[in-house]
Amino acid sequence: MNHDINIKELQKNCFRQSKVPGEFMLQMRVPGGVIEARHLSLVQHIADTWGNGQFHLGMRQTFSLPGIKYENIEAVNEYIKSYIEDIEVELCDVDMDVNDKGYPTIGARNIMACIGNSHCIKANIDTTTLARKLEKLIFPSDYHIKMSVAGCPNDCAKAQFNDFGIIGIAKMEYDYDRCICCKKCVETCAHHATGVLSVEKGKIVKDTCCCVGCGECATVCPTGAWTRNPKKFYRVIIGGRSGKQYPRMGKMFLNWVTEDVVLGVIGNWQEFSAEILNHKPVYLHGGHLIDRAGYDKFKEMILKGVELNPEAEVADKIYWAETEYRANIHVKPACNTK
Amino acid sequence: MSKNLLLPKPHEILEIIRETEIEYTFRVEADLKVEHGQFFQISLPKIGEAPISVSAMGDNWLEFTIRKVGKVTNEIFNLRPGDKLFMRGPYGTSFPIDKYKDKDLVVIAGGTGVSPVRSTLKHFYQNPDDINSLYFIAGFKDKKSILFEEDLENFKTKFNTIYTLDNEQVEGFEVGFVTEHIKKIPFDTFEDYNVIIVGPPAMMHFAALECLKNGVPEEKIWVSFERKMSCAVGKCGHCKIDETYVCLEGPVFNYTKAKELLD
Amino acid sequence: MSYSVSVKKMNEILKELQKDYKVYAPKRFEKRGRYSDTDLIRYAEISMVEEIVYDEKADFSPKEVIYPITQTLFYFTEHEYKESKVHDKGILIFARPCDINGIKRLDTIFLENGDQEDIYYKRLREKVKFILMECKEGWDTCFCVSMGSNQTDNYSLAVRFAENNLLVEVKDEAFNNLFANEKTTDFTPEFVTSNQVTVKIPEIDNKEILKKVHDLDMWESYNSRCGNCGACTSACITCSCFTTSDVIYSENGRAGERRRVWASCLHEDFTEMAGGHSFRNTPGERMRFRTLHKVYDFKARFGEEQMCVGCGRCTDRCPQLISFATTINRLSEEVNKLKNKKVSQVQAASKEVE
Repeated sequence: MNHDINIKELQKNCFRQSKVPGEFMLQMRVPGGVIEARHLSLVQHIADTWGNGQFHLGMRQTFSLPGIKYENIEAVNEYIKSYIEDIEVELCDVDMDVNDKGYPTIGARNIMACIGNSHCIKANIDTTTLARKLEKLIFPSDYHIKMSVAGCPNDCAKAQFNDFGIIGIAKMEYDYDRCICCKKCVETCAHHATGVLSVEKGKIVKDTCCCVGCGECATVCPTGAWTRNPKKFYRVIIGGRSGKQYPRMGKMFLNWVTEDVVLGVIGNWQEFSAEILNHKPVYLHGGHLIDRAGYDKFKEMILKGVELNPEAEVADKIYWAETEYRANIHVKPACNTK
Repeated sequence: MSKNLLLPKPHEILEIIRETEIEYTFRVEADLKVEHGQFFQISLPKIGEAPISVSAMGDNWLEFTIRKVGKVTNEIFNLRPGDKLFMRGPYGTSFPIDKYKDKDLVVIAGGTGVSPVRSTLKHFYQNPDDINSLYFIAGFKDKKSILFEEDLENFKTKFNTIYTLDNEQVEGFEVGFVTEHIKKIPFDTFEDYNVIIVGPPAMMHFAALECLKNGVPEEKIWVSFERKMSCAVGKCGHCKIDETYVCLEGPVFNYTKAKELLD
Repeated sequence: MSYSVSVKKMNEILKELQKDYKVYAPKRFEKRGRYSDTDLIRYAEISMVEEIVYDEKADFSPKEVIYPITQTLFYFTEHEYKESKVHDKGILIFARPCDINGIKRLDTIFLENGDQEDIYYKRLREKVKFILMECKEGWDTCFCVSMGSNQTDNYSLAVRFAENNLLVEVKDEAFNNLFANEKTTDFTPEFVTSNQVTVKIPEIDNKEILKKVHDLDMWESYNSRCGNCGACTSACITCSCFTTSDVIYSENGRAGERRRVWASCLHEDFTEMAGGHSFRNTPGERMRFRTLHKVYDFKARFGEEQMCVGCGRCTDRCPQLISFATTINRLSEEVNKLKNKKVSQVQAASKEVE
């Protein structure tokens, strides 16, 4: 078959090129990874009608539908209008006009999240609701950003490997009189977390500097001596990425910040990206943008207008630790550097 | 206000006798009516309380032999004569020495188990006419853990004694566990008799079985239990075994009862 | 006499009562539950009707009001011990029948066992008057009816919470004047008559069966399930065990206090003596100890009633989802099997004789 297809345009439309010429895979956004199950019938209909009958649970929690022929893309885009309306406009309150043309952009990738405290006994926050609030801030934007929201520092959501990783943490409070010194918190903190608890004079003492805010102590406490401060706190990890060249885990940017701070920071991302990329939205990992700007510049711009809560901590400096698949990969011939 | 049963009282330490490297006997001034086999809650500011049995008694004094294990008892070793020891008691049941009178008595003790029976042994040492015969089997782990050496020597003069060490050869001592020597007791020559067994849980268990094997009726066997206790007055719950509180119905039990006490 | 009282009026009455009493009721601690965004409901001082959580079961029992989790027994210096003191007000506790019956079990331990009264318990206990919270239905983990603890007449006031008012029965004449101007009704509290769960108490009537109960395989199944956390005993209205310890106020100081803190027979160190020897070394053994205490040996010792009142909080609070009702019923089944086995052995033996 004679193909003349602008695959760049289709990619922006969330259709990914297949190795079979003329076939594409649609990636449907599921912000926070949770939606009502009824949408599965729509997914099935697309797969059965235009796709190859299968769907892939996308690596970033999208519904990915392979085997869609180029000539059917128009029909598919028309068909997913209701889904985009339901998910983006209704559920996430995204400010966008939904039309028959499908997704307007793939720039900001689907926001991942673990199931969070709507289900998980370990989670400290409602990851789904936060992911939806974040979706409103970053979609539809052509500027690339990958985000993940984890309910607790266990980080099943891999917040450590995203441009922005947001981790729900809890300020733990200790009721001295309710403690019966069963040492379960000491054991679980040492086993699962940072081992900041110890016994002193028949009660528990804590090395507050190194508490990761996971809340494990509260989940094992038989008397309710350990409880979470009801105020929600977040840790923000930046600059994590996978990749063929120099993957790296993210580094802690903010600790013990409130949701307002998180939303303020993410709200500044587009402006920061636009400035660093000279207003040309090209595909570049957040980490590269931060590198290009320099951490100090990034910090200044991303915290612009953001009022930090009194408990907040901000990284003074960041030293990245990359995996260099090739030694001295950053050392290049001087004449070739752009 | 009613009597505060948990409030300890100070008693002056009269003398401290070093028995072994880790065991010391404290003689304290006390004008209290105490029966053989009873115990006190001994306390120290900073640390806490522990149940300790009376290892000897006299006019206006009591002795407690305390081992340097656990945090409770370590602090005691910093005390000197003239210091005060806070304590409350006596608590628990005692060896029924009236029942032992004019009969034969066999005492089988292992390690620190010698402490709770020492006052009983001393009583019959001082009143040898109260008893037909007394057979005393005492077992220790090794030479350095032998307790009350002077008493052991004295007891030889009035009692039939078998002293044994688990696995060390020392003059005057057999080698092996106390259980191995029980068969040497001439139970069949006794008209009426009693057997006291005190020691670590496993030792008491096997010594009692060995006695039964040698034809000793259950009701003639007496044991003393050691348990964790916080109150000694039937409230804290630590020493309870089924419906029995060791602090109240024990620590001395007849074997007919003790055999039913399953932890 | 019974009265219909508006919430507003009841709040005025509570205010009046607070002059002489500390008033305790189940109270909501928002987002303080074991898991994120869950609430904790436990007993605390209240001053308004609106604070009382009457339509949910409290996570913890009212025992902590009269038997505090951490309690200072006395203060000491090098030379003396000085008894701690408590407040001089009376205590009013909003409680359900199961809990009022449970406190009777605590009375047995603290005031009767060993023939000596525990003054630290008594000094708070003798201040207590109960305000019965009518409990007509219970919850899915309750088995008070099976334990016979669904009813009580041990209360000064009884209340039914209605939409905009409360129905109050005044049994204790000392409170009559507070309600003098209120509309009278014929309210008397009703009691739950059947639970969703029923339990059968094991009939352990001799030491031979008891010994076999100790050896049952069922206890071993808890070795991998029970986490030894003691949530069950902490929530239990009748668990009374404690450990005492001394605390000094500073590293070099010589002043301090002796205190007692709740203990749990589920904890690994409950029977551990100086030197490290323990008598019950597996979760299964400890589970057996707790179970038998609740449905066998308390009654064997004191004769009247089982210790367990069937409040079901141990089940509610167990993070490993162990149901105590199911445990008791399992035990009863096993005891029946043991007995039937014995009967059939006896029958077989007598047949052989024939």
